[in-house]
Amino acid sequence: MAVGMPGVLDSESADRCMKCGFCMSMCPVYGVDHNESHVARGRNMLIRMARDGGLATDASYRDSLSACLLCGRCEAVCPAGVPSPAIAVGARSKMVRERGLGSSQRLLYRGMVKHRSAFAKLVRGLSWLPGLSNRKGAPVRHFPDVVAAFFGGMSLPRLSAPFLSRRLPQRIPPREGEIVGQVAVFTGCIFEFFLADAGSDMLLFLAELGYEVSYPHDQTCCGLPVLSGGDLDTAQAIAKRNIEIFSRYEHVVTGCASCGGHLKRYESLFGSDDPWKEKAAAFARKVEDFSEFLVKRGHLAPRRREENRRDSESAEKAGGKPRVTYHEACHIKWKQHVDEAQRKILLGIDDIDFVEMEGADSCCGLGGYFGIAHPDLRLAMLAKKVDAIRRSGADIVATSCPGCLLQIMDGLRRENLPVRAMHLAQLVRGGY
Amino acid sequence: MAFGKSILGDLKAIVGEANVLTSAADLAAYSYDGSSSWQSIPGAVVFPSKVEHIAATLELLNRHGTPVTVRGAGTCLSGGPISPPGGVVLCMTRMNRIVELDREDFTVKVEPGVVLHDLNRELAKHRLFFPPDPQSFLAATIGGCVAEGAGGPYAVKYGVFKHYLLGMTVVLASGAILELGGNTMKNVTGYDLPQLICGSEGTLAVIAQVTLRLLPLPEARCTVLAIFNDVRQAGKAVHRIRASGVVPAKIELMDNWMLRRIEELSPLGLPLDAAAILLFEMDGSAASVAPETQEVIRLCQEAGAIQARASEDAKDAERLWGARRAAFSAVFGSAPTVFAEDVTVPVSKIPDLIDRIAEIRKRYDVSIVLVGHAGDGNLHPSVLTDKSNAEHCGRAEKAVHEIFVAALALGGAISGEHGIGLEKRKFLKHAMQPQAIDLLRQIKSVFDPKGILNPGKIWE
Repeated sequence: MAVGMPGVLDSESADRCMKCGFCMSMCPVYGVDHNESHVARGRNMLIRMARDGGLATDASYRDSLSACLLCGRCEAVCPAGVPSPAIAVGARSKMVRERGLGSSQRLLYRGMVKHRSAFAKLVRGLSWLPGLSNRKGAPVRHFPDVVAAFFGGMSLPRLSAPFLSRRLPQRIPPREGEIVGQVAVFTGCIFEFFLADAGSDMLLFLAELGYEVSYPHDQTCCGLPVLSGGDLDTAQAIAKRNIEIFSRYEHVVTGCASCGGHLKRYESLFGSDDPWKEKAAAFARKVEDFSEFLVKRGHLAPRRREENRRDSESAEKAGGKPRVTYHEACHIKWKQHVDEAQRKILLGIDDIDFVEMEGADSCCGLGGYFGIAHPDLRLAMLAKKVDAIRRSGADIVATSCPGCLLQIMDGLRRENLPVRAMHLAQLVRGGY
Repeated sequence: MAFGKSILGDLKAIVGEANVLTSAADLAAYSYDGSSSWQSIPGAVVFPSKVEHIAATLELLNRHGTPVTVRGAGTCLSGGPISPPGGVVLCMTRMNRIVELDREDFTVKVEPGVVLHDLNRELAKHRLFFPPDPQSFLAATIGGCVAEGAGGPYAVKYGVFKHYLLGMTVVLASGAILELGGNTMKNVTGYDLPQLICGSEGTLAVIAQVTLRLLPLPEARCTVLAIFNDVRQAGKAVHRIRASGVVPAKIELMDNWMLRRIEELSPLGLPLDAAAILLFEMDGSAASVAPETQEVIRLCQEAGAIQARASEDAKDAERLWGARRAAFSAVFGSAPTVFAEDVTVPVSKIPDLIDRIAEIRKRYDVSIVLVGHAGDGNLHPSVLTDKSNAEHCGRAEKAVHEIFVAALALGGAISGEHGIGLEKRKFLKHAMQPQAIDLLRQIKSVFDPKGILNPGKIWE
């Protein structure tokens, strides 16, 4: 085992793949291009062959490694429980150790994400450039190409001004009445820099429910984008920092499906002889998705009956209520398995008309590093998702992953579809 | 057997640049199938998107004498879709349209790359059902299933792929496009060519479209779990149920090794020392399923079952079948190399075969796990070994050979549903007369005179 290589990311577990092909029935990437080097079964085989010296680690090998969304479907369907996403990340990480990071990745991962305050300063500086933020000035719709290069040509919404941590203090008291409990919030980078309105709604909603909300401003990126790019060392450093910062809280809530899925698996970043493994496991047990937190504590019992849910084909606009459809984030369903909570919340909101879109749980195509390395596949998957949103006839598409939100917003803009994309927190706070 | 750049250029001209893969990683991803002993790197992977692509590709490769191996999802367990080194893999997964669903006549026309599970998901919307169920159904393609003559647990009541095949479009090695069979339940127009193609493992022609017969989706289903202290009692139960006139849709047998894995992976509270479990599925009208379920339970008890119970609801039934699937997967994770065999005997001979396998297990000192379709005589003894340990693997190979000999001696066959492919070709001469094997060769040479279609499979 190579130095610094945690057991769970090791290629040995790829040997447990018996090539049954069940992953091929679930993989969103394989579903688009039917290329077997882009699905867990093929990738596991390539990783084994490369390890055993039977395959060169050339550009085509790296193409296979990068063509994974890390959505977790293959692992969920695998009869042998092979952790294929972790195996892919382990192989990417091996490549990074052998070849080093590309300069743009190095800048992003090591220089910025690890020290988010430095990243914040840089982005804040950029935000004064005309058109980059919604601070003022002409509404430029697309983030300039130079920044978009980091994101595989994705058009991002303008930067939030000010950032979320400049809007709300580190301690938000309950809005009124007795304190019902205490909760700390892990916001994630997208709420911080791009969707501060949604992030703010999540924090304030918890305060309105009576919680004393802790919002440590020194928290950093969850580390998933860094890990996804194969930079394991930085991902570990980031995890340690977050574990320490949140060590004094009992409940940690996040509104980001991807952050949540990753925080809950921090343990897998550390080898079994690493003292951080136990700390990471203890931390992971405290983490809950926003919807999971609400539903577990009975804050939003469904007031509508399950049978009232209508499918999009038969639905007609119900008297003046906005029609809302729901995109199920991969990291909610396949990594955290808390997808029921989301629908309970949506069914609990009386004055919206909730309709299911076809393939609510099909991936939007973002997938972090995947989307950067494979913009064509990203867009093919996005087009399917936007088409399903269109056919649902919804006014609003809700989701519980800020990453999916950015991707879906990009798709809605590309298709000029007059549908608003919102986080669940914005909906529950009545922002529709 | 590497081929020139000009062929590659011509292939790209036929199917388009994006439908020809040649990079090292892409080729490696098409170098294997679901079996554990075979691998070889092809020279190119070509994805046709219509029948004309297949015809032009075959015409080109036939002219050059380049081997072509057709592949669906590559879930085969006998090495069928593995190309000789440097050959062309013709991968059908991008031809995956359901062309026409006829709800009046209960037939469907599909392209070969349609995944079996996707087909049934679509059919269920119309309350229709395509029964043959190789357990790779989540990924396996219809073309691959037809070419391999696949089947599954439903064979007891519903038969296998060949029983549903009405017609097909095929392309010969020369590039000629032929329509075979038709759309009707009965058809005796000349030799039954679709049946000849079915199970020919890609050696005679390339399947470009198939027409399949469908059934209405059964209204009700119920599962029965029965536990026995003696495999012979389980055999007796199966026989009595078959004689009673009740026809379960599935009758699955698992041995003590499987039972223990089930208790580890998804505990059902089974007694760990029991010798065998039978799992039945009853389906049909709600009015018939309930009494038939009771009858199956009664007959199991009469045969000596220590426990027999019906599933409480659909969820409970899914739990039982899920446990079986998980335990079967555990077989493959339990050793570096697994010879998953596929012998078939007359149904009444299953207890005899199991006794013989117990002797073989002892004689060669190897682990052999038993799972099987007790209702149709098809057993999957899995011999656990490790390719890298020559001594152990040698014993395992001998054990496999003895299992074949035992099955043949009991009036059985060396493969029920996996095919011969590479895995069993050296045993073919023990299972078929020399003249019959010659007939196979002659038929092949009529369809494919230059021998470009999946060469090296079935016989040595």
